[in-house]
Amino acid sequence: MRFLQVAVLGVLLLLSSSFSIGREEASGQSVRVDDARSALVQAFVLVRQADLQGASPGQISQLANNLNLALDYEENATRLSSDAYANMSLQLSNTTSVQALSTANAARTQTFFTQVSAYSVAVAAGFGSALLVLESHRLNDAVRRFRLRRIRLE
Amino acid sequence: MPPRIIVLVLLFASFSLVYCSIAYYFLSRPPAQEFMAWGVFSPSGTLSNYFSGSEGNVVVGKPLNWHFGITNQMGSIQYVQVVYRLGNSTSANPNATAPGDAIPQLGTTSIFIPNSQTALVNFTWSISSEKARIGMVFINMTINGQQVSPPVGAVSGQRFRFFFELWTYDVASNSFQYGYKGQNSRVGLPLQVWFNAA
Repeated sequence: MRFLQVAVLGVLLLLSSSFSIGREEASGQSVRVDDARSALVQAFVLVRQADLQGASPGQISQLANNLNLALDYEENATRLSSDAYANMSLQLSNTTSVQALSTANAARTQTFFTQVSAYSVAVAAGFGSALLVLESHRLNDAVRRFRLRRIRLE
Repeated sequence: MPPRIIVLVLLFASFSLVYCSIAYYFLSRPPAQEFMAWGVFSPSGTLSNYFSGSEGNVVVGKPLNWHFGITNQMGSIQYVQVVYRLGNSTSANPNATAPGDAIPQLGTTSIFIPNSQTALVNFTWSISSEKARIGMVFINMTINGQQVSPPVGAVSGQRFRFFFELWTYDVASNSFQYGYKGQNSRVGLPLQVWFNAA
């Protein structure tokens, strides 16, 4: 009787352990694909930010190619239930995120310097124009003096 | 303060204002209406002649190579999803505001499209088999290499309809949303193509 109880308990333990292993594997795989999907969306958000911050169309096209490749891997991972494809997608998405961040930073810096230089030139031109208007009579005098000197020399 | 200096400051302020306005104009993005456009193209690259002159009759086993041309003019890169559904003559159409949720979905294709670019998305399909049941014909299909068995039938196999919907990824809601974000609301752009299972 005791043997029967132990045997039933053993079988139950074996069944429950094999069931839990199966679940871990199944959930592990879906978690990997979910991770790949999240990383892809995150990469897209960062590429979009870089785009809005003024990155060049060429840079955005390059990043979009990477995103499309990562998307292909992710679709293969889903279709074939493949961890390898999910990992490839995840890695490419993470690489693209890093590139997008650096592109966004470069674009932000470039935009800042462009704006600073444009407004500096505008302010300098404003000062120059103000001086020109205020001192135009001196310029006229100088021209007049120059003409007089030429007439005297002749 | 000497009047000369006051005049200089006033002139400087006025000229700077004018030149800074000009700089702002050139540094700003030109205003543009944001939109997306798309179409389903036949193998000959036209928006017609989808069945090579067979008037909408699709023979079992004959593959049809269509493609979508999707143009992004939204001002930034877009994550686009094409949803395809199969309906018949009595199916409720998707419209400019609502997708055809009641119509069975056959699959999706997604792509990232940079701003001011047009992407081509392949759509290769065929009818792999037909099954008649009480006057209705049901079809099994292969779409982009995947087998699908839609639960929709058509009387004598006539007047099936493909519905194609454009969805875009909305960062705020973290999900795909029907159509694209217009000025005031979302704009849906459903397409449909009729065919008969011959």
